[in-house]
Amino acid sequence: MVNLVYTELLKLKRAKMFMVSLIGAAAAPLMVFIGYLDYKAKKPDMPVLFSEAFSQTNLYVLLLIGTLLYGVITAYLFNREYVEDTLKNLLTIPVSKISFIASKLVLLFIWILVLTLVAWGLTFILGWIGQYEGLSAGVLLQSLKQFLIGGSLLFLLSTPTIFVTFLFKNYVPTIIFTAVITMGNVALANREYKALYPWSAVHLIADNGFVPEYPPLYSYAAIIATAIIGLIATIVYFKKADIH
Amino acid sequence: MSAIIKTTHLTKAYGTQKAVDNLHMTVEQGQIYGFLGQNGAGKTTTIRMLLGLIKPTQGQIEIFGENLLTKQKEILRRVGSIVEFSGFYENLTARENLLINAKLMGVHKKNAIEEALEIVGLQNEPAKLVGKYSLGMKQRLGIARAILHHPELLILDEPTNGLDPIGIKEIRKLITTLAEERKITILISSHILSEVEQLADQIGIIHQGKLLEEISFAELRTRNRKFLEFQVSNDNKAAMLLEQRFDIFDYEVHDDGKIRVYSHIGQQGKINKMLVEHDIEVSRIALSEDRLEDYFIKLIGGGTIG
Repeated sequence: MVNLVYTELLKLKRAKMFMVSLIGAAAAPLMVFIGYLDYKAKKPDMPVLFSEAFSQTNLYVLLLIGTLLYGVITAYLFNREYVEDTLKNLLTIPVSKISFIASKLVLLFIWILVLTLVAWGLTFILGWIGQYEGLSAGVLLQSLKQFLIGGSLLFLLSTPTIFVTFLFKNYVPTIIFTAVITMGNVALANREYKALYPWSAVHLIADNGFVPEYPPLYSYAAIIATAIIGLIATIVYFKKADIH
Repeated sequence: MSAIIKTTHLTKAYGTQKAVDNLHMTVEQGQIYGFLGQNGAGKTTTIRMLLGLIKPTQGQIEIFGENLLTKQKEILRRVGSIVEFSGFYENLTARENLLINAKLMGVHKKNAIEEALEIVGLQNEPAKLVGKYSLGMKQRLGIARAILHHPELLILDEPTNGLDPIGIKEIRKLITTLAEERKITILISSHILSEVEQLADQIGIIHQGKLLEEISFAELRTRNRKFLEFQVSNDNKAAMLLEQRFDIFDYEVHDDGKIRVYSHIGQQGKINKMLVEHDIEVSRIALSEDRLEDYFIKLIGGGTIG
């Protein structure tokens, strides 16, 4: 497995997609920063808090940019083996299909964590430049925890995206799929059903913002069930599918 | 000699369409086996089944005497392959691409990558990204990747596809060298007759999913008949005269006034004289023998091949 993960990392060497994803991860902190610059221009006497900036950034990451961006990198990681016609070589090396998926999942998790940390770190740097107030170790740790929980849960929810990628072997359906997910997030943003919709439930869990109508267990169950169903569908399909 | 590859009743069906139909193939140790067929004959599907990429609908595959279905991992460790065009990570160098295979194959030998690159003549451009390689270079790199772990069996699916004549010659030379120096058993598929003719010891001819024949070149040569070929101005009249004057019935009339006579070898002078005396212009006489192309076309019942 170590060798598989090493080779997955090697495949990303000089890959433009990694740099592009870093730019994507920077989008949420920049959007929030620009928003606060506008706010300061209108209300110069009102303080801007670090906790607020972190919370806003995490909201954008988890509900908007993250679902799309992580969907795209998931599609890239799994689909590139079809696009670059390298899958048939990999599978004629005695590597099991499960190990192949597992190594890609490990890399995807690392990649999502890197992007999460970039978003968090950039929020911190922009806050420092913008002289936000209320910085403390507690705020930093709490926000980091929220970012990491959100990133990890979105990683778990990547399995349906992987399945769609394997099924269609094309970027377009995957991008449409993640766009639909994001639309769902937006549609449910002010409804109590957001606790049941796995992708919006991620933000509730990370932000501890549960709704009274549904207990937290429902949100956890929705995420875990989606992740497991996605994983099983992926493995069953990939094991059965012929490689052309 | 022992069988390195043996398939029995191997079938792959897509719905009612059989891409490979009840294939019985045997590749013996040390052979270069030319797997010959037109495009769409079922070569690639067969090769993908041999490599475990496609599951057969029916039948068995034994490689090194083991069942591929149950011992796939162990078998594939001893096999190198190219399936159609070689895919590579274009953002990596040749060395980095081979490093992926070396890591996953457990190749620990120092310089294994450099050695493989040297064999295929790609050692001089270590910093060049594979994305900038020509098709010929990529195919050579594909061979380097296939031999990196010193396999006992090489399965090459149309390795010269898309190459220019020089590239084809290079790959052919490389394959011959590998077979001679490393004693590797090689299965090479192609739709180009001349390519197989120059490489293989044994050929298997596949057509519409069925293996029509498996035959060694030595046997093929003994089967191939010699013939006299006359280029005449009037083939109908010439054919009639051959029958009437020489009792020749074993002949074929081909396009452009060519008549092939499979008997009376050595009597071309007399036949020529007779034809000329009957006002038939003979512009060419040649003693020849059936080529692989003729054999192939007869076998598949017409049509052409590369």
